[in-house]
Amino acid sequence: MLFVFGISHKTAPLAEREALAFPRDTLGETLLRLRSEAGLQEAMILSTCNRVEIYGRAEQDTAPDAVVAFVCAFHRRAASDLAPLTYCLTEAEAIRHAFRVAASLDSMVVGEPQILGQVKEGYRAAEEAGTLGSALNALRNRTLAAAKRARSETGLGSGAVSVSHVAVELARKIFGELRDKNVLLVGAGKMSQLAARRLVDGGARATVVVGRTLERAAELAAALGGRAAPLDTLREELAVADIVISGTGAAGTVIKLPDVEAARGARRGRPLFLIDIAVPRDVEPQVAKLPGVFLYDLDDLHAVSEANLRERRKEAIAAEALVEREAREFLDWQKSRDAVPLLVELRRRGDEIRRQEIEKVKGRLGPLTKEQEDALESATAAIVNKLLHAPTVALKEAARNGHEPEQVGLIRRLLGL
Amino acid sequence: MGSRIYLLLTLGLYTVGVLHVLVQALARKRFLASATVGATLMGFALQTAYLSQRWNEAGHFPAVGLHDGASFLAWAIVLVYLLTYVSTKVDALGLLVHPVAFGLVLAAALAPVSEREDPILKSLFLPIHTTLAFFGYAALFVAFGMGLLYLIQERELKSRAPRRFYYLAPSLERCDTISGRIVAVGFGFLTLAIVTGLLWSHSARGRYWSWSAKEWSALTAWVIYVVLLLARRRSGWGGRQAALLGVAGFAVVLFTFLWMNVLQPPGAVAP
Repeated sequence: MLFVFGISHKTAPLAEREALAFPRDTLGETLLRLRSEAGLQEAMILSTCNRVEIYGRAEQDTAPDAVVAFVCAFHRRAASDLAPLTYCLTEAEAIRHAFRVAASLDSMVVGEPQILGQVKEGYRAAEEAGTLGSALNALRNRTLAAAKRARSETGLGSGAVSVSHVAVELARKIFGELRDKNVLLVGAGKMSQLAARRLVDGGARATVVVGRTLERAAELAAALGGRAAPLDTLREELAVADIVISGTGAAGTVIKLPDVEAARGARRGRPLFLIDIAVPRDVEPQVAKLPGVFLYDLDDLHAVSEANLRERRKEAIAAEALVEREAREFLDWQKSRDAVPLLVELRRRGDEIRRQEIEKVKGRLGPLTKEQEDALESATAAIVNKLLHAPTVALKEAARNGHEPEQVGLIRRLLGL
Repeated sequence: MGSRIYLLLTLGLYTVGVLHVLVQALARKRFLASATVGATLMGFALQTAYLSQRWNEAGHFPAVGLHDGASFLAWAIVLVYLLTYVSTKVDALGLLVHPVAFGLVLAAALAPVSEREDPILKSLFLPIHTTLAFFGYAALFVAFGMGLLYLIQERELKSRAPRRFYYLAPSLERCDTISGRIVAVGFGFLTLAIVTGLLWSHSARGRYWSWSAKEWSALTAWVIYVVLLLARRRSGWGGRQAALLGVAGFAVVLFTFLWMNVLQPPGAVAP
C-alpha cells in the first residue's frame, strides 16, 4: 500500500517542522536506512521549509507505524510528542494528498511555484538512492503532470504575492520588457534592495543609487552593478529613470511634486513608475496625479498582492477540481493495474488447457494438414478468448470500483487458479 | 437566398467568440480560447464563401449598402484581428473584436440586400477602392481596440486598483507598440483608399473633389493619423496621448463608414 507520513505548516509550527527535517547531504543514506528499518519497498522524502513528508510503499499495513518509529528514533523524539503534530494518510488519501501538494494547493501561499521543484528534487534524490520503484515513479509522473496542467490551465500561479514581486509585476505591466529600463534607488533599505535586485535580474539596467552617505550608496550600487550619485542630483536622475524605488528612513518626503514636475519636461511623456516603500512615505502623494506617473506606496502594493491572492484562490477552486480528477484517474489506473497479475494468470491457465486439449486431439486424429491444424488452432483460441472476455472485463471493472479482494477470491475459486 | 445560409452559419460561429468574451471578461477563464480560434477561422472561411457568392449575385463588388458593407467590414476586421493574433498572441483584443464582428454580421443578416443597379458599380474602382478603404477601417479599428485596452488599463494602474483589465490585457508598452504598428498599416490603406477614391471620382464625375461630408471626414481622419504617426516617429510620442488621438481618429473613420453605408440616401453612390 501507498502511504504518506508527514508534518506541515497546517499541523505544526516552524520550530517543530525544522526539528523533523532530514539533512539534505545525507538524504540518500537516510532513504536507504528508512527503507530497510521500516520494511518499505519504496520511499521518498519531501523536505521543504513548510513540510517534511515521507512517501512510501509497503506490503504490510504496519509500515506507517514503522516509519513513525524510524522518524522518532532518527530525531530522538517520543512518539507521543509527534502524534498531534503529524499526519499519516494511506492509499487514496495519500495519493490525493500527493497530487495536492505537488500542485501547490496545500502550500502556505497557494499557487507558489517553488514546491514543484522541491517535489522533483525529492523524487530525484530517491531515484539516486535507489528507493524509487514503479509505484512511486508512477505517482511522480502523474502528480507532476497534474501540477503542470493545473498551473497552465488555471490561473493558479498567476499574480505576484510578495511585495517585491508585485513591484516587478507592476513594472512589467507598465513597461513590458524591463530590458534597458533605468532603475533609480533612493535610500538603501533592505526591502528596496530586494526589489531593485529583482528588477535587475529581470533585465533592468543601470541601477543608480542616491543616498545621503555616498559611501553606503556606492557599496550598494556596486552590488547591483550600478553607480552612486549624491542626493542633490535627484532631479537629474529622475529625468532619466523609469522606475524609482524609494525607501529612505527620512522623516519627511524626499521626492516632492516640484522634483517630479521638473523632470517631466525632459521625460517627453515616458511613463514613470514610483515605488514608495518607506514608512513614513518618501514621495509626496500629489505626484500620483501627474499624467504618466504611477505611484505605489506600501499599502498599494499590499492591496495588489491581496487582489492577486483573491484571484489565485478563485483559480484554486478550478485547480482543485482538476487535480481531483487527475488523482481519481490515477487511482483508477492503479487499481485496474492491480488486477493485471490475476488477468495474466487467467490467460495463461486458459492457454495451458487449450494446448493440452489440442495435443490430446492430435494424438487421436493422427497427422493433420496445415489447414486443419490452423482451423483447430483458431477455433480453440476463439473459445478461450470468448470465455475469458467477460471475466476479464468484469475483473478490470471490479478493480476500478475497488471490489477487488472479494471478487478476486471468487474468480480464483471459480476458475481453480 | 441560398447564399444567406453561409452568412447565418458565420453568425453562429462568431457567437462562439462572443461567448468566449463573456466567459473571459466575467470569470476570466480561457477554456473557450482554442474553440474560439477554430470557430472564428471557420466563420471567416464561410464568410469568404458568402462574399464571393454575393459578388456573383449582385454583379458588382459586394460592399455597397448596409448589408454588404457590414458583412464585408466584419470580414476585414476578423482578418486583421486574426493576423494580429497570430503575430502577437494578444487575445484581449478579442474582447472588442468578437462582439463587433458578431454585431456587424447580425446587422448584415437583418438588413435587406441592396439591389441597386448603377453603372458606377461596374467600375473597377469599386473593388479596389472599397477593399483598400475597408482594410483601412478594419486596421484602424483594431488599433483603436489596442488603444482602448491601453487607456482602460492605464486608468486601472494609475488608480492603484488593478482590476479586470490588469489581468486580461498585455502590458501598456505592448498595447502601445502594437497599436502604433497597426495604425501605420491602417493609415497606409486609408491613404491609398483616399487616392483611389479621388481617381474614381475623377473618372466617374470628371472632378476629384466633390465637397461631400464623406470626403471631408476621410480627410480629417487622415490628418489626425498623420499627426499621430509623425508625433510618434519624430518625438517618440506615445502612450496615453497617442491612444486618445487614435480614439479620436477612429471616431472620424467610423463616421465616414456610417455615412457611406448607412446614413447616405440611396442613389448617392460612391465615390
